Amino acid sequence: MIYLYLFLEFLKIGLFSFGGGYATMPFLYHMSETYGWFSLSELSRMLAISSITPGPVGLNVATFAGFKTAGITGSITATLAIMLPSFVIVIFISKMLKKFSDNFYIKSALYALRPAAAAMIAAVGIRLFKDSIITNTASVSAINFIDIKALILFLFLFAISLKLKRDPLIYLLIGGICGILLHFRHITDLF
Amino acid sequence: MFLSFLKIGCLLLGGGYVIVPLLRSELIEKNNWINEEDIVNFYALGQCVPGIIAINTTLFVGYKLRGKTGALAAFFGLILPPFLAIIFLASILIKLAQNVIANDIFWGVNVAIIILLFLTVKEVWKNSIVDKFTFFIFLGILLMSIFGISPSISIVLSAISGILYKKITKPNKADEISGGGE
Repeated sequence: MIYLYLFLEFLKIGLFSFGGGYATMPFLYHMSETYGWFSLSELSRMLAISSITPGPVGLNVATFAGFKTAGITGSITATLAIMLPSFVIVIFISKMLKKFSDNFYIKSALYALRPAAAAMIAAVGIRLFKDSIITNTASVSAINFIDIKALILFLFLFAISLKLKRDPLIYLLIGGICGILLHFRHITDLF
Repeated sequence: MFLSFLKIGCLLLGGGYVIVPLLRSELIEKNNWINEEDIVNFYALGQCVPGIIAINTTLFVGYKLRGKTGALAAFFGLILPPFLAIIFLASILIKLAQNVIANDIFWGVNVAIIILLFLTVKEVWKNSIVDKFTFFIFLGILLMSIFGISPSISIVLSAISGILYKKITKPNKADEISGGGE
């Protein structure tokens, strides 16, 4: 039964997501809320790993989420479901190519779809910000509601983002290293 | 062809547009199967249809070369390397879940992901929020998403409102909208 739900949910992503790999995040976030297959922080990890693994990010994260939910069969289900709408649409459109991208309805729909996709990604960003910075349960900070370390890291990465271009690897690498450094007590505990 | 896409799948790192130079080197320079203009067109089309851009582009190219079988061969070639890599990493990750240091790394990585999400928004914003209407759509959908409305509903609603808006304002903007299928 879980495979059927998994298939239908990823079919929806394939059918309704516009605007690249990160545009699948709002759907996966909604999925985690509805079904509880994975938590928001697990989703964030999956996206991080998908960003630095070869292959399209959106597809990687689908494979990952499928695996997390129902093992290898789950990941195959998710991967095939997410490509199925594309496959049908591509075969349909290939016959009338040029006409399609100049079509009034397609153009008008995309005109509104792009800002919508941006807004949905922003909403996931806000939610993640709230979860990891405003109230972080893992925080050892004396101040209750803000994880100071996370806020410092966020502001640091934000400052970097004004100078550098958007290369996921750099940000994830800095984030990971700072993650260890800011919790150095964990390392000293080991010895 | 399967092998060519297998290679692209191994090399493809990051966002959708990265696939264009890879397709160019594999399909034009090495095999001369397709021309430059086709690749650019397919990439543009890949963004106009729903789904993952790199996958859409791959399917278009595969279909052009060998029909449905070609599209499937290209798709499976492209996804096989990342599929195996993800399965491998996912299995490791489950074992690492109890590790303190690994959790610290992911703590930092999760903060980095927030920045990456906002950078994506910024990038899309530049090309898509061009007037009051698109700004209004952005705000509306942002509120809807925060209040937990399903993304599928948001997408359908914004597509419909885009078409309605363009229909209503069409007389004033007749120059901007080229002939096409009207």
